[in-house]
Amino acid sequence: MDDLRTVSKDVDANNTKISAKNVQVYYGDTHAIKDVNVEIKERTVTAFIGPSGCGKSTFLRSINRMNDTIDICRVEGDIRIDGKDIYDRDVDPVQLRARVGMVFQKPNPFPKSIYDNIAYGPKIHGLAKTKAEMDEIVEKSLRRGAIWNEVKDRLHAPGTGLSGGQQQRLCIARAIATEPDVLLMDEPCSALDPIATSQVEELIDQLRESYTVVIVTHSMQQAARVSQKTAFFHLGNLVEYGNTDDIFTNPKDPRTESYISGRIG
Amino acid sequence: MTTQHIVSAFDRDLVGAQAKVMKMAGLVEEAMAQVAIALETNDLAKADAVRKNDKAIDALDEDIKHECARILATRSPTASDLRTVLTVMSISSNLERCGDYAKNIAKRTTVLTNATPINGVAAALRGMQNAVSSMIKDVLEAYIQRDVARAEDVRDRDNQVDEMYNTLFRSLLTHMMEDSQNITACMHLHFIAKNIERMGDHTTSIAEQVIYLVTGEMPDEDRPKSDLTAFTTPEDLGEA
Ligand SMILES: Nc1ncnc2c1ncn2[C@@H]1O[C@H](COP(=O)(O)OP(=O)(O)O)[C@@H](O)[C@H]1O
Ligand SMILES: [Mg+2]
Repeated sequence: MDDLRTVSKDVDANNTKISAKNVQVYYGDTHAIKDVNVEIKERTVTAFIGPSGCGKSTFLRSINRMNDTIDICRVEGDIRIDGKDIYDRDVDPVQLRARVGMVFQKPNPFPKSIYDNIAYGPKIHGLAKTKAEMDEIVEKSLRRGAIWNEVKDRLHAPGTGLSGGQQQRLCIARAIATEPDVLLMDEPCSALDPIATSQVEELIDQLRESYTVVIVTHSMQQAARVSQKTAFFHLGNLVEYGNTDDIFTNPKDPRTESYISGRIG
Repeated sequence: MTTQHIVSAFDRDLVGAQAKVMKMAGLVEEAMAQVAIALETNDLAKADAVRKNDKAIDALDEDIKHECARILATRSPTASDLRTVLTVMSISSNLERCGDYAKNIAKRTTVLTNATPINGVAAALRGMQNAVSSMIKDVLEAYIQRDVARAEDVRDRDNQVDEMYNTLFRSLLTHMMEDSQNITACMHLHFIAKNIERMGDHTTSIAEQVIYLVTGEMPDEDRPKSDLTAFTTPEDLGEA
């Protein structure tokens, strides 16, 4: 058993990693994110919850400028990582996405070997000079992705041949390979069975030691299990943000309460 | 939260568990009233009935715990739903203990019928009993109405019970020192008084659960305790 004090979920002591101020996101005339202000703590798992269409994914994508790829999408306001405005002119979105990794709902390994899936990012960003260095990055990433033991004997088999849960952990390992410090996950378990889900949740908990994790989930129980902070979105507004324990036992806003307790709101 | 759940069986589960607590509370109130009468009138048949009826209280407690475990396992309640289930479990335990104390008083009634009556003690016990009974009545009302002010009032009144107990404790000590013939009766009467005082504590704990249920916060532990008998010695009595 771990000493209970060391696994305490209190993360208020942690520094702010991502700070969003007066963020608005529009798709054409649709105002999808309305004046959101939030400070996301470093080395903490923050869950975004809320009904479908409330803007969770939209806000998540604004943190690594994935919204730039959508023509009609417009982001306003101020989003900073480590105090640096990520929408500043001198920020290269490709470099930014190496530092702010993303994992999607459906596991999407490249149609390449397991090894190449991991090596792809580091190769682009020139993180390894020699084959030996690349081998090391691949092994380290797969270990951090909690999948090394399952694939170490078949690194050159296609990534698409793995089970759904293994593919998702491979994708997480791939996101880790470029040495990000933030990991964004958009419903990473919704295509997985309960066992694979538990394995990914266990992995997310380990990742918290080294990374700032933001996870969108439609499973309230998952948010309660894996996160230390929870943000509840409703119709584009950030309604409530606080310690997960408090949100799930004593939410302040009736809209939060209705949503998490499964009431007709 | 009064709005309904999307899954209506969840509403029925929560309502059902709380109804069982109210049923149990009714039995406990009845046990306390009956045992008080049994004690005053030396009614052994009544005392015996109180002892037997405690089985029903215990059975309800088990039933409620089982039901709560099922709700926790199957519905994963959150927020005020979670607090509803947690407080039902806790209140059920408090009521079960109160039932045990009533049963224990009933047992002692049987012994007391053959002992020397002690002057003035019956009235003092009646006073404690009335105070605790009215606390229980009020705390149940506070629970039903989700009335924090009323629960806080109940919590404050526990002091009075503690003070009555202190006074009675001293008077029993005096009686025992005056005449060793009184010791048996006084010992039993003391346990009865202590049982009533403990019922007051459990009632206070129910009041705190009501506050937690409504506000989400446990009240502070700043309630002054007035049971000082742990520090009372026969020497103290001379100064009183
Ligand atoms: N690519 C897009 N083009 C236009 N509208 C979009 C796009 N993506 C999302 N939206 C709209 O923005 C709002 C928020 O959507 P989204 O962020 O996907 O919500 P969530 O992830 O909470 O389900 C919705 O009204 C949705 O229809
Ligand atoms: Mg989404």
